[in-house]
Amino acid sequence: MNLDEALKTFVIESRELLEGMEDALLRIEQSPGDADLINAVFRAAHTIKGSAGLFGLDPVVEFTHNAENVLARARAGELPINAEFVALFLEVCDHMRTLVDRVANGGDFDVEVSDRSHELVVRLQAFSPAGIPAEQKPMLPSSSPDVVAETADEASTETGDWHISLRFGRSVLKNGMDPLAFLRYLTTFGTIVRIVTLFDDLPETDAFDAEECYLGFEISYRTDADKAAIEGAFEFVRDDAQIRILPPHSKISEYVDFIQSMSPDEIKLGEILIRCGTLTQNELDTALRTQAEEEAAGEAHHPIGEVLVAQRTVSPAVVDAALQKQKALKENRGGDSSMIRVNADKLDEHINLIGELIIASAGIDLSAIKSGIPELLEAASVMKRLVENVRDSALQLRMVQIGATFNKFQRVVRDVSKEIGKEIRLEISGAETELDKTVIEKISDPLTHLVRNSMDHGIESADVRLARGKPAYGTLRLNAYHDSGSIVIEVSDDGGGLNRERILAKAIERGLVKPDELPSDDDVYNLIFEPGFSTAEQINNLSGRGVGMDVVRRNIKDLRGSIDIETTAGQGSTMRIRLPLTLAIIDGFLVGVGNSSFIVPLEMVVECVELTQEEVDASHGRQHLNLRGEVLPFIRLKELFDLPDVPPPAENEDDDDDFGLGNADGTRDEGTSTANARYEVDEELAFLLQPVKRENVVVVTYAGKRAGLVVDELLGEHQTVIRPLGAVFNGMEGISGFTILGTGRVALILDVPGLVRRVASDDVRKNRAPSTHRG
Amino acid sequence: MTTPTTQVVKAPSGAGHPAGAGTVEDQQQFLTFHLGEEMFAIGILSIREIIEYGQLTQVPMVPPFIRGVINLRGSVVPVVDLAVRFGRAACPVTKRTCIVIIETAHEESQPSQQMGIVVDAVSEVLEIPAANIEPPPEFGARIRIDFISGMGKVNGKFVVLLDVSRILSMDEVAVVASLNRLESPAVA
Repeated sequence: MNLDEALKTFVIESRELLEGMEDALLRIEQSPGDADLINAVFRAAHTIKGSAGLFGLDPVVEFTHNAENVLARARAGELPINAEFVALFLEVCDHMRTLVDRVANGGDFDVEVSDRSHELVVRLQAFSPAGIPAEQKPMLPSSSPDVVAETADEASTETGDWHISLRFGRSVLKNGMDPLAFLRYLTTFGTIVRIVTLFDDLPETDAFDAEECYLGFEISYRTDADKAAIEGAFEFVRDDAQIRILPPHSKISEYVDFIQSMSPDEIKLGEILIRCGTLTQNELDTALRTQAEEEAAGEAHHPIGEVLVAQRTVSPAVVDAALQKQKALKENRGGDSSMIRVNADKLDEHINLIGELIIASAGIDLSAIKSGIPELLEAASVMKRLVENVRDSALQLRMVQIGATFNKFQRVVRDVSKEIGKEIRLEISGAETELDKTVIEKISDPLTHLVRNSMDHGIESADVRLARGKPAYGTLRLNAYHDSGSIVIEVSDDGGGLNRERILAKAIERGLVKPDELPSDDDVYNLIFEPGFSTAEQINNLSGRGVGMDVVRRNIKDLRGSIDIETTAGQGSTMRIRLPLTLAIIDGFLVGVGNSSFIVPLEMVVECVELTQEEVDASHGRQHLNLRGEVLPFIRLKELFDLPDVPPPAENEDDDDDFGLGNADGTRDEGTSTANARYEVDEELAFLLQPVKRENVVVVTYAGKRAGLVVDELLGEHQTVIRPLGAVFNGMEGISGFTILGTGRVALILDVPGLVRRVASDDVRKNRAPSTHRG
Repeated sequence: MTTPTTQVVKAPSGAGHPAGAGTVEDQQQFLTFHLGEEMFAIGILSIREIIEYGQLTQVPMVPPFIRGVINLRGSVVPVVDLAVRFGRAACPVTKRTCIVIIETAHEESQPSQQMGIVVDAVSEVLEIPAANIEPPPEFGARIRIDFISGMGKVNGKFVVLLDVSRILSMDEVAVVASLNRLESPAVA
């Protein structure tokens, strides 16, 4: 394997592990007794250390080793897991991330980093005074109390030494490992009291292969180091060798188990152990007797093949980190096998191709309708359906749960609340809501701003809260859910809410609002998104400069989303972000207006109704109609976009006029040509579709509001591949993108909220200076 | 689908040649075309291809010189009416009307952007030696001076050499939201 590739994998995996570590640390804070969590932290540190060792990244190994030592003791219950511990390890975690980042950027560890390493190591050592040597306080299982009960009355072995049992695999030498090197390494932090070399596996001279390793060792070892350290010595041969490490004063039953698992010939191994000085004859007898009893009781004798099983079922008193890690690794591998890491670019390319496929399929569909051949029509419709399925599954590939993004805020909330001295709890819901990866990446920044803003400005200090009859701790909620084709992300707090008066005063002071104006609540709240707007009296390093919220709005707009604020004075406020589910492909509803065609995102379309002459007369020129008793304001697209009227169909007869030469502006209407195509299919249908000066209203809904769009023609559903507006049209309001229709023509995708905003602000303007025309 | 009629020249890929930035000295070949009665020329390095006029979609609420957008083999390309950009009336579309696709890179960092310009008729590709190129006149050209990169002498006549990077400058061409709603900046 290419080392660069391997290093890249190391970086990716380490980052993931660190994320997991941080997550576990944050959860430990809530439930300090959870052994699984501390184990998870330990495993992460340990794995990173091991992998870093493989690449010779000494600064990482050295630092992580120190952290690991403290963790090992915490895991053994020797150190209290408290807020101080968590805080320290969060810093450690951050620093490890810095180290990994440095590795990713070419492994440049400068003084700054090593100083930080040193500082943290000192603090780690201070946290874990080396006062209690491992021998005097044998590692007792901290995890399950029942085990303690079970083993408490069992006899312990007398020896205060570790017992290490090694069986090197045949391929060890071939893999470039020297068994002797490991033994030599052991002596660097302990003493080998006795060693017995096992050469039973040595074949006859004829069969002997000099490149294979046939040796095994039983070692009695004395050290102050903990188990993880010993294990670490064998990091590189873990896969190639059978390694068992028994701590001092292990229970006899553990030896029994060990003996059983290592060799089919228990007696022999037992004798070796005696020779090795690990067991006394007496102890061995007890062990063998216990085993015999077990067998008599009908318990299955464990052959070597069941080693793993046995190790898992047998008391966790043999807290075997190696085993745990191996187990974790195996589980990981199991998970990985059903996952594939794919380069995001490849995925994008794939989705682009599917976009092309959709356009092509729409073209075929159109030709099929034109040709009127039933078989072709059927084939085309089958293909269309399949293409739709392919599209959906392709888009699904890009979908990611938002939970991971939300979880990052655990840390943000924790840090910020410490910094500003407020106690704030984060509640997360809707973590399983899925949305496009691109959107997730881009939403993280605005969310951070909103969260910080809520914590700093929204939530009051504890005494104010108590005075208002609220709990002393503030609550911040992150929520996500799907709503009519868009995803909604909410950031809410139970703080004081927005202060309308203060915002308005500030706005008047800054000249954003004229003193005599009476803007609506929404308008006032939206002022906080203005660049440079801040009501904070003091600027701190969190917020108050008035930059953040402006950025928030801009980022969200770039994602074709919107943000609105709901606030109740004294009760708190909710920032609600609405985003499109995906940025690439949508289901669209094609409508024709004059000579142009437009796409309305289908999920916004509620229904289509006819705009009858009576309705128009009844509204007396006002732009709304009566929809089953409800007032429905509508927008005349033709007037808004200043589009020319449709020329009478008769003039458009020659369908071959593909370049629209007869037309002054050269545009030709997709809508009309589709309609024309249909006339050819069925004359009767053509009669029905004849655009007799009848207008239709497409009722759309957005963020709980309804509006009507008056169009000439309804042309049905259309798979829409969104083409971005590009640099030229980027600032447009009311149009969110382009799409290419089956005929190869370009249609415009309507941005309904933008349109509504535009019309609303036009109305406001007109009402201020009543003049000119209506519309 | 739009079919390209003539693929005149392709800018050498990977050369990263910013359109129009190529000065008159290193640009010897020019595409000449007509706009009304007048003849203009553009350096061919910025030209991607020339296609027939057709299947153009109007975009509402944009400055009048943006004629609309076309589908160029799957990508949406904005089309600028050169005559309107020069402050003249749009010419009627004839059988000889063409769209010249220009590739522009406005800043080094940005990816290049394709844009189409509508011209009345494309004539030929000319080689104009640097010695035959005069600096633009200070006035009297009937179009903005900064649009002109030079005056080429061809058969004793002058041809206006256009600076496409200025004509299609993103700062001027791009549609700004505030263009239509100058009065209500505070209300979003």
